[in-house]
Amino acid sequence: MIQSSSSPLPAEVNGSPLGTIQVISAKPLDIVDLLSQAHHPGAGAVVLFSGEVRDSNKGREVTCLEYESYVPLAVKIIHDILAEAREKWGLKVAIAQHRIGRLSIGESAVVVITTAAHRREAYEANQHIIHRIKHEVPIWKCEYFSDGGHQWGNNCNC
Amino acid sequence: MIMKIHVYAKLKDFFSPEFELNAVARNTDELKLRLLEINEGAKNILDSCRFAIEEGFIDHDHKLKENDTVIIIPPSSGG
Repeated sequence: MIQSSSSPLPAEVNGSPLGTIQVISAKPLDIVDLLSQAHHPGAGAVVLFSGEVRDSNKGREVTCLEYESYVPLAVKIIHDILAEAREKWGLKVAIAQHRIGRLSIGESAVVVITTAAHRREAYEANQHIIHRIKHEVPIWKCEYFSDGGHQWGNNCNC
Repeated sequence: MIMKIHVYAKLKDFFSPEFELNAVARNTDELKLRLLEINEGAKNILDSCRFAIEEGFIDHDHKLKENDTVIIIPPSSGG
């Protein structure tokens, strides 16, 4: 995407109270649209992570996932995580959006975008943000299997 | 003492997603005991849960009040 240097560009996105991107979304995540909001003239590196629904887990065939969240607290915590990461790594833009509801195989469940002057900061910050989202934010995944069973996740595999 | 209780994820296997609890529970430790009186099978998951009111987590000695809405937060599994 080419963006004119005269365009108004955010120094930060949804880590800010002024951000317009909802960090929790019941609608499919639009990765291209999110990426289009991440460009910044001071950023030489843009890292985008998309966590997507896999078709198997520990040998069982997964048919779909369902995510639920205690949204008021999830929003606050994600904002805090993004703000801390922006400060620590000097990010130009930090975006995170997590899906709730039922997702099919291959859909994006969570997107994290970090932009910085150089790639090291963008990569490190991105990993830090997704790690904290998985462990700290009140969002829960339920896996539905082809054998008819389902299982709530209670920790992560990383 | 009536409180509203909201539970999520695995806890819904043991309790209704939202219900009113009429019991003496001055803090979350006592609330856990009251919940185990309803369903003792929830002990393992309750022991790993955090508690919240509105947009903030509360400590185990936070004083609960009449009409509080207490959110019970199992370990996260997003991403």
